[in-house]
Amino acid sequence: MTNQDSNIPLNIDVPGDPEFRRQPATALDPGNILLRRFRRHPGAMAGMVVLAILTLATLFAFLSPYPADQSDMVNRLQPPSAAHIMGTDALGRDMLTRVLYGGRISLSVGLIVVGIGLAIGVPIGALAGYYGGRLDAMLMRFTDLFLSLPAFLVVILLGAIISEGTLPFLKGNSIWTIGFVIGILSWMTFARLVRAAFLTIRELDYVTAARSLGSSDLRIIIKHVLPNSIGPIIVEATLEMGYAIVQESGLSFLGFGIQPPTPSWGNLLSNAQENFTKYPWLAIFPGIMIFLSIISVNYIGDGLRDAFDPYKVLERVGEYT
Amino acid sequence: MFNKTRSLFFLISVIIGSLLFNACGAKTTPPASSETSATPKNKNITLVIPEDPPSFNAVIAYTGYDALAMKMVLLGMTGIDPDGNVYPELAAELPTLENGGVVQDETVKTMTVTWKMRKDIQWADGKPVTADDVIFTYKAITDPNTGNWIPGIDSVDSVDKIDDYTFKVSYNTISTSYLTLFGGEQVAIWPAHYCDAAQGFSAWDCGRKPLSDGPFVLDEWLQGDHLTFTKNMNYYQKGKPDIDKVTVKIVPDATVRKQMMINGDADINMWTNETITADLQKETNVKVSISPNERFVMRLFLNTAAKGTTDAQATPHPILSDVNVRQAIRMAIDADTISKQIFLGFSKPVWTEFFRPPYNQCNIARPKLDVEAAKALLEQAGWTDPNNTGTRECHGCKTGAPEGYKMEMQFITYKEYGEPILLTQQLIAEELAKIGIKLDLTTVEGSVLWADSSGGGIEQTGNFDIDLWDDGYAGTDPADFISQYYSEASITPDNGWNIARWDNADFNNLLADSSTLDTTKRQADFCQMAQILDKEVPMILLFTTIDADAYSTRLEGVQSTVNDVVTWNIADWKVVK
Amino acid sequence: MLTYILRRLFQTVGLLFLLSILLFGMVNLAPGGPLAGQGQSRHIAPEKAAILKRQFGLDKPLPVQYVIWLAGNDWMQVDTNGDGAPDGPGTRKGILRGDFGFSFRTRQPVLKEINLRLPNTIYLMSITFVLALALAIPIGILSATRQYSIFDIVATTFSFAGQALPEFWLGLIMILIFYAWLKNPITGAPLLPAGGMSSADGFVLSDRIIHLILPVTTGALGWIAWYSRFLRSSILEILPLDYLRTARAKGVPKNQVLYRHALSNALIPLVTLIALDLPYIFMGAVFIETIFAWPGMGRLYYQAAIDRDYPLLLAVLIIGAAFIILSNLIADILYAYLDPRVRYE
Repeated sequence: MTNQDSNIPLNIDVPGDPEFRRQPATALDPGNILLRRFRRHPGAMAGMVVLAILTLATLFAFLSPYPADQSDMVNRLQPPSAAHIMGTDALGRDMLTRVLYGGRISLSVGLIVVGIGLAIGVPIGALAGYYGGRLDAMLMRFTDLFLSLPAFLVVILLGAIISEGTLPFLKGNSIWTIGFVIGILSWMTFARLVRAAFLTIRELDYVTAARSLGSSDLRIIIKHVLPNSIGPIIVEATLEMGYAIVQESGLSFLGFGIQPPTPSWGNLLSNAQENFTKYPWLAIFPGIMIFLSIISVNYIGDGLRDAFDPYKVLERVGEYT
Repeated sequence: MFNKTRSLFFLISVIIGSLLFNACGAKTTPPASSETSATPKNKNITLVIPEDPPSFNAVIAYTGYDALAMKMVLLGMTGIDPDGNVYPELAAELPTLENGGVVQDETVKTMTVTWKMRKDIQWADGKPVTADDVIFTYKAITDPNTGNWIPGIDSVDSVDKIDDYTFKVSYNTISTSYLTLFGGEQVAIWPAHYCDAAQGFSAWDCGRKPLSDGPFVLDEWLQGDHLTFTKNMNYYQKGKPDIDKVTVKIVPDATVRKQMMINGDADINMWTNETITADLQKETNVKVSISPNERFVMRLFLNTAAKGTTDAQATPHPILSDVNVRQAIRMAIDADTISKQIFLGFSKPVWTEFFRPPYNQCNIARPKLDVEAAKALLEQAGWTDPNNTGTRECHGCKTGAPEGYKMEMQFITYKEYGEPILLTQQLIAEELAKIGIKLDLTTVEGSVLWADSSGGGIEQTGNFDIDLWDDGYAGTDPADFISQYYSEASITPDNGWNIARWDNADFNNLLADSSTLDTTKRQADFCQMAQILDKEVPMILLFTTIDADAYSTRLEGVQSTVNDVVTWNIADWKVVK
Repeated sequence: MLTYILRRLFQTVGLLFLLSILLFGMVNLAPGGPLAGQGQSRHIAPEKAAILKRQFGLDKPLPVQYVIWLAGNDWMQVDTNGDGAPDGPGTRKGILRGDFGFSFRTRQPVLKEINLRLPNTIYLMSITFVLALALAIPIGILSATRQYSIFDIVATTFSFAGQALPEFWLGLIMILIFYAWLKNPITGAPLLPAGGMSSADGFVLSDRIIHLILPVTTGALGWIAWYSRFLRSSILEILPLDYLRTARAKGVPKNQVLYRHALSNALIPLVTLIALDLPYIFMGAVFIETIFAWPGMGRLYYQAAIDRDYPLLLAVLIIGAAFIILSNLIADILYAYLDPRVRYE
């Protein structure tokens, strides 16, 4: 344990953690410490860089000289070459272009899932945790209802249902549909995390002080409580995003994902698998993209978790009170 | 506390451990046939299919896998060979007008068919297969409480026993497909003394544990994993089958099935698609049998009624109700390129419904591929692009569409077919874009596309502009298929599949007229119908899709057929290696 | 504690009732239906559709269907032959009396279908689970005690890789490597079988084990990642706590502090997490089962979803939900039992 003690996050003041630590506040700004700790995590930094490159590349996909959807039957199924770095597919479309556009779709699905998770989970958790009592009980029963659904089975079912329906905004197998299908079943963790954090934080002195000064509940929630419970939420959001990208590829494999001709990493990968030995480039490149993005996202989440570490205690205490 | 944790872990591992053990015990299966081993004298074969047969009764779900299993253990009155000829199975001979088996009453348009059965066929328990079994099967199918439905059953008034091996079917109309009523691809005769009529035709236990009169006997069915069969020692054709044991393995993934063929762990891979057929043809130990005739045709269905409606007269489609537009679309699609590139050349161009023997005698010229002519036709029909937007608009069009209405439509296909149909959809959209028609691509599940209107079925509710998929008829008689797709009666939602909502009086008359046993007259009627369809284009036929089964070079006699599943002649297969 | 459990059980009943309405609505309102053709027949003949509708009970209004599904129809008059007049009481008992109806696809009782698949799934999943835990616990401990060491970095990377590869993809690669490319040097046969539970010839342990290697490996990777990461962070959470410092200060040896004091506490959340994950053993893994031809629940469910086999879908969903609720309860009780700081009244 020689080198270890220095690595263990110890001496910061953790708001909302009355049970386990009573050290006096240090002079350092907590945000600064977080950043420093995060930077010390080599994986997380590498993950950040890779994800940033991937994101930028997908954003600038339009710079590609090739159209993403137009066929070019003369050049079909070309292996990687100087003209087509990742080769071409069964319709002669440039794989690099499609992989980049696909990345845009896959990453957007991830963002939509996290967005839906936050948009539903945070308010529910905040209301439940802040007000407690009846509202809390009611909202938590609602959360339980969703938590009791066998998630992946329902995703398969919803994938089948919603992608076939003609609801406004959720038409066919659009990114919104897939994002919704995955997202509607992944807000519960956010709700529980936020509630747990709120339960502890709302009793702290500075919140009581703010309340006695006449701040409105909304203001207290947004200005004082939410920022202090942000750690676990960010960690969870990062991981959820990676999870969503993998889920989309799984849905594609089952036929309920984003539908061609719109490319996504998931459908590029699952469509290529039948010809894997013949045209390996069709599968390898989207596979690498999924792999890189998930691993980056996980590393980032890991770095954040280590940085926010003491906050984790909140989750555990809060969940079972 | 530590001890508590430890004891808990112990407890959990004991629970999981005992679960393991239980499952082990439960899974002990009786000896079954093995995978192909090195000894050449072994006459055991393995078939791979992606999903369990729902039962041995192909009438119920008709997935093809049920038919595959049914053909191994049960016989029908007749079968259909790869060329479309009906051959007798339980029947001693085929009843015809000539041999007096069929008696027509031309005046009231009814007929009776007298069937003579073979006397040398027995159930696996030694009891003979008799007319009682046929009548039992007929009653079970038509039982109003528990029965089901087979094609042509509604035109049967009664089935009566004449003696143990003779029975008579009385029809209330002239049935052109009477030969395959109790046979063909779907229907088998069930043992009256073994099946429990009270359980009902659809659900009875003998549909899962059948009593065999076919070449094989079911030994074991471990659901989702495999079925095993052994040779029926009582089979009526002496010396057949050559194979001792058949294992049908359920392997859901197509790539894995292909690899099992290459590795020699499977001897038959049913229904290989174009890509896998091409791959397997390169292997030295695998052959692919491709059906000599085609059945499924990739088609574009054009809705002549406005999207969301089902009456082409009251609410005509703003674009597709003009026959010139339909013809222009047909002229702009390069079916040959698609079939060569996407379907790897395993398909034949088709431009008329009457392309299959025996009714393929009409001379319908193949429509030309001519993009410029298509454009000219659209211009002429009042669809122009004055502002060069790439999408034509209605400027004096004849469909009743408002001035300036854009040529934009939704183009649907279904997912289950896999990538080739999606690529086809896209290529067609690109080709139509060249003549100024913009298509919005959508994919849905087959169960949504084809559901009835109460289930929100896209086609039955008319909720589409153009859709693309493959269909064809079993057997040799196109009449029912044609009637379902093009007749006036089938326009009514849920009453048929005339989803083009296309109505042509001449065509309907010809269709009614073709309901006769006089094949020359039928051929003449069909050719006239073909000409009407060619001119009117209610549907665009593109090319056939493959019907192939891969088999190991250990086997001889495997013959793919569009009229049946690959096991139709399993009794004739020989193991040579 | 007892009142707490009773209260929770009471809530469970209410929860299941709400779920039954939610799931029934979801399944039945799905576009498409079981009547569309499959396989060889694209369209279903109108005459046949009418018969099937009646036999499946789909001809009745949805609320009536729900009541029949829930409480059966043996107490009411039913028209079975389609002539519009009642023919006698129905035969369904309803799920409240343990009758989940029959599968549209096979016409067999749904529970029978599930019974045929469930043992296989439990078999595969529990082996995967136990193996994953056996590897994840030491990996988690070492990663935590040597945070940021080479071992930690390698283990972390492998864990993440396990989560980053879609299972269907990983499974296929495994088959290509171990079935298509690698051969047994002695017999020349493929190194490992492509799938299935056995090469028939009854149950032989060695045969079963070689059939298990690929699906278990593919499935375990994700679980190993999940549990080792979880254990790592719960140990890291505990290590800096005061009581461990106190123990060290008192002169308790380092390893004893680590394994006796720290680990026993860090395992508490792991135990509850395992309890929470138990339902997966029931629900199976659709990708693994599909790629490796394992006849389990995941595939059964997927097939039912495609076929719109409502009774089968509903049964798996409801039973799955019941398992989840139950395992939540078990997790909470375990937590209270193991962690003296948590008390329920």
